[in-house]
Amino acid sequence: MDDEMIFDPSLKKKKKKKTGFDMEAALAGEPSETTSAEVPAETGDVDVPEDDSLDLDNFGKKKKKKKKTFFNLEELESALPEAKDEAPPAEEPEHQDEELIDDLDLDIDFTRTKKKKKKKNLDEIFAEEDVRGGEEQERDEDQNGEWHGSDRDYTYDELLERVFDIMREKNPSMVSGKKQKFIMRPPQVVRIGTKKTSFANFTEICKTLHRQPKHLLDFLLAELGTSGSVDGNSQLIIKGRFQQKQIENVLRRYIKEYVTCHTCRSPDTILQKDTRLFFLQCETCGSRCSVASIKSGFQAVTGKRAAMRAKTA
Amino acid sequence: MSIQNLNTFDPFADAIKSSEDDVQDGLVHVRIQQRNGRKTLTTIQGLSSEYDLKKIVRACKKEFACNGTVVEHPEYGEVLQLQGDQRENICQWLTKSGLVKPEQLKVHGF
Repeated sequence: MDDEMIFDPSLKKKKKKKTGFDMEAALAGEPSETTSAEVPAETGDVDVPEDDSLDLDNFGKKKKKKKKTFFNLEELESALPEAKDEAPPAEEPEHQDEELIDDLDLDIDFTRTKKKKKKKNLDEIFAEEDVRGGEEQERDEDQNGEWHGSDRDYTYDELLERVFDIMREKNPSMVSGKKQKFIMRPPQVVRIGTKKTSFANFTEICKTLHRQPKHLLDFLLAELGTSGSVDGNSQLIIKGRFQQKQIENVLRRYIKEYVTCHTCRSPDTILQKDTRLFFLQCETCGSRCSVASIKSGFQAVTGKRAAMRAKTA
Repeated sequence: MSIQNLNTFDPFADAIKSSEDDVQDGLVHVRIQQRNGRKTLTTIQGLSSEYDLKKIVRACKKEFACNGTVVEHPEYGEVLQLQGDQRENICQWLTKSGLVKPEQLKVHGF
């Protein structure tokens, strides 16, 4: 009975996880799910290693099913026969249960009635889906590689990773939300002489970012704490020595603050000035938020003080 | 012996205490400036005026083995200046000494 105690909570969790994944799918797959979820519980009671490996497989199938239903209702039907496949092996442990433990009778009876209902449904649909079901199983086994043959519980991380993998696989558009798929040319930074640096593709980068060159210029100069200007060849000349990596860093910070939406991180935004404040309007999610104004802040005196005095006097 | 219920208890004690702890409000900007050659200057702007900047600079000079000074600025108040690129050092030091919370630090420059 101790085994039961250990097994139950994790199983319940798993069940919840699946239902949480998609309501539609959950509704569609509910009957099959209840039975198959109980199957492992029973096998857990018996605690036969073979059964454990078996229920691992079942889990994999079940999950698959869910995802299938989510994308294609037709395939839902194809998913159902698998539940049927699960049913027969599950009954063996039941018999064992009866022999071994009388206490569990109630539970078992309950599940069994359910299964019978199930079977009727399944028999009706059974014929056509055999082929498809086979295909699915193959795929399931491929994906289950890590857990196959081991009787340990899944860790939360594994399950999470799995869910996300499948989500990404199924809708590739979501991947862009997770990672910035914003591809930019690297800034071309060349030294001019010893004291100046040229940022050759400055205007090009402004165009790809959809920002005014002046805004980016202000930001760059304020961050780097230097002076500079755009010359005739539309390249930026900055005073001081800078490497490409350093400029990249600053650009990255600029993009994070002034280009990507703070809510959905989409780069599809418009920067507009409203009553002396800059607002970032997102074209994807429609959010609008104010962004920090560019301030150069305190600048220490680095030049020759005598020259400064001569200038002011 | 005293009766616990009759003790005077200030319900706002915690609030006052925590607000006292947070002398530092607003961001602390840590910037870097290039000088001639490969020399640089680090400026720390926005430290609360409640702190004794002179003491801070004395400690920093010793810790980072660099020179430094406190500059008075009409707009930005007292600003710390340290020789060399001390951005990493000063950030760690300020958070470790508990003067500034990590989220209040803003590092500029490349």
